[in-house]
Amino acid sequence: MSSVRVNPYILPDLLLDLNNTQQQADTASLQMATGSRIDKPSDDPAGAGQMVLNKSETSRADTFLRSATGISGLLQTADSTLSSVVTALQRAISLGVEGANGTLSDTDRADVANELSGIQQQLLSLGNTDYQGEFIFSGTATVQPFVADASDPSGVTYNGNNGSNNVQVGENYSLQINLPGSQVFTSPSADVFQSIADLISAIKSNTNVGTAVSEVSQAYNYVTGQRVFYGNALNQLQSQQNYLSSEKVDLATAGNSISATDMAAAATTFSQSQIALNAELASISRISQTSLFDYLK
Amino acid sequence: MASLLSAMYLATGAMATDQGALEVTGNNVANVNTPGYSREVPTLQENTPVVVGNLTYGTGVSLETVQSIREPILQIRIQQETGQQGQLNASVTAMNQAQTLFASGSNDIGTQISNLFSSIAQLSTDPSNLSLRQGVLTAASNLASTFNNTATVLNSQRANLDLNVRQSVQQVNTLTQQIAGLNGQITALQNVGRDGSQFVDRRDNLINQLSGLIDVSEIKSDTGITLTTSNGTALVTGTRSYALSTQADSSGVQHVIDAQGKDITTQINSGALAGLIQARDQAIPGLLNQLDTLTSGLSAAFNSANASGFDLNGDAGGNIFAAPPTGGTGAAAHMRLAITDPALIAASSDGSAGSNGNLASLSSIQNQTVIAGETPTDYYANMVFNVGNDVSNSTAELQSSQLVLQQLQDQRGSISGVSLDEEAANMTQYQRAYDAAAQVVVAVNQMLETVINMGSVAVSS
Repeated sequence: MSSVRVNPYILPDLLLDLNNTQQQADTASLQMATGSRIDKPSDDPAGAGQMVLNKSETSRADTFLRSATGISGLLQTADSTLSSVVTALQRAISLGVEGANGTLSDTDRADVANELSGIQQQLLSLGNTDYQGEFIFSGTATVQPFVADASDPSGVTYNGNNGSNNVQVGENYSLQINLPGSQVFTSPSADVFQSIADLISAIKSNTNVGTAVSEVSQAYNYVTGQRVFYGNALNQLQSQQNYLSSEKVDLATAGNSISATDMAAAATTFSQSQIALNAELASISRISQTSLFDYLK
Repeated sequence: MASLLSAMYLATGAMATDQGALEVTGNNVANVNTPGYSREVPTLQENTPVVVGNLTYGTGVSLETVQSIREPILQIRIQQETGQQGQLNASVTAMNQAQTLFASGSNDIGTQISNLFSSIAQLSTDPSNLSLRQGVLTAASNLASTFNNTATVLNSQRANLDLNVRQSVQQVNTLTQQIAGLNGQITALQNVGRDGSQFVDRRDNLINQLSGLIDVSEIKSDTGITLTTSNGTALVTGTRSYALSTQADSSGVQHVIDAQGKDITTQINSGALAGLIQARDQAIPGLLNQLDTLTSGLSAAFNSANASGFDLNGDAGGNIFAAPPTGGTGAAAHMRLAITDPALIAASSDGSAGSNGNLASLSSIQNQTVIAGETPTDYYANMVFNVGNDVSNSTAELQSSQLVLQQLQDQRGSISGVSLDEEAANMTQYQRAYDAAAQVVVAVNQMLETVINMGSVAVSS
């Protein structure tokens, strides 16, 4: 025979093609259903590896954001507490100025001293402010920081420590989140409780009231200065939260470009493979039917 | 001169030949779907003529041989490619299962590592909070059980592959036994001058199946076929087959042993056995090894970071994870927490309960190159890449091997396959020839009748 003999067994070839087309359709439909073109690492090994890193970075950005939200409540509470401290000290100063006026009677001075005692109590309670059950001015100790103590000249002892905590809110970016009470309230240069105690005894004894008032003023200025720390921290936190939110968007965009299904392409592949599948099925059903035997009568 | 009777013999001989040829066609048609069947072609030959004086008379036709059409070189290529495909198929199937453990999801190892670091970061905002401390322990315990599960699944996959190895060896033995039997039958037929084609087809088919399981080299000899592995382990010589066996080593892994008692486990180069052994002894242990490295590195880093701080009671921190086994083997399968009391997390750097200073050292593990010179996440990302890359490469190889095999089969089909069109044409051809020869018989018969009647006319007159 001179003519080239062709392979009479076409079915296995056609079935293999059919299988491949079916697989193409399945893959496209899975990609559309899950929205991800990486179902298992072998679908895109490099992409799968990158997605591990992308997910890890997204998780870190989420974590930093959550930490930032958690500590912003603490910082706000501390800030408003110090605002109340400043207001109380302001009132103490005006009471001191009033008490320094020589025209006051002993009774009037006693009233002033009483009101100052009230302010002393208020400051003590402000110093013991907590946020979600944790004292915010005890340093890194978990004890009540300020306790009334008649034996101490300032009337108060500090039981906290001088420690402070930092919380990470970004890669290589930690924010100090507290100032110890020993720094804010009982600094040797401007002791809030000492100054109020001194003012009360000055008013009571009607001696050196002016000196005592300036001592309180000094404490007022000092605490106002300390409050700036919390204001700054809140500002920094706010800008960091903005940054982290936009970083999350960037990471999500990057993640999508790595692994998200190109819907249009997947849909096209799917419908094309459907068409191919139908054509293959039709050709199989026809081809296998005929041979010369059908024409021999 | 030729006689009427010799003309009659000639015609009936032609009828017998055509009938024989038609039988060959019938057999081809009957075996159109028989795997490995090679079509047969009848060889017709003109009989030796008779010379009478100046005249040479033909004496008809006879059916000389019935020949199977096959291409031995092609057959060998098909066997080689079948072996290649068997190997790739076995390893792709195994690694496809393994890689699902590393698919991205809500519980994959990467996510669990992130969750642990995330829980530590949360604790840093309120270090004495017991429920946040418990959160860290829960995340650590989830990470440990994810490692445990991954290692357990990989180990049970190895056990399954081990079973597959034993089953494949049994299949090899069954096939070599059958091939040796066929060798005997073919030799016996060839000794009496027959080609034993049907048996040869069956043997080729069995050798093909054998190639799908183990690497086979074929040497033809007078006593049939000798089959060995490419490393020279005898499988079949003539009518003898040599059974392989399996033997468990100290760790329970089945080794393949040849008939001489030699361990040939690492010498099998193609076929499903090669793929199974490769996945069982290299690919999966490789993954387990990387998991162990990751687990040991993480455990050691967390333990040492925890030891640098103070727990909620003001005591120096101890281990968070149980110390990994020496050498690290089995670390992933046995990773577990060393503590159950959340107070024992050493968050504090100064000994006071509200300090979070040491959590920074725990957090920083994330960016430290504590796992074979890489950060934990980078190491895991590389693992995912590698496992995916291996599967993707061998899948591509498998697909191209499938195409090659398909082409070889097409080629084999074009040489040895039964074409029904061709057979139908042959059938009509032989049928027509048969009809024509029968007409000759009828004609000669009539002539003989004439001759016989001549005699009766002479007698009656």
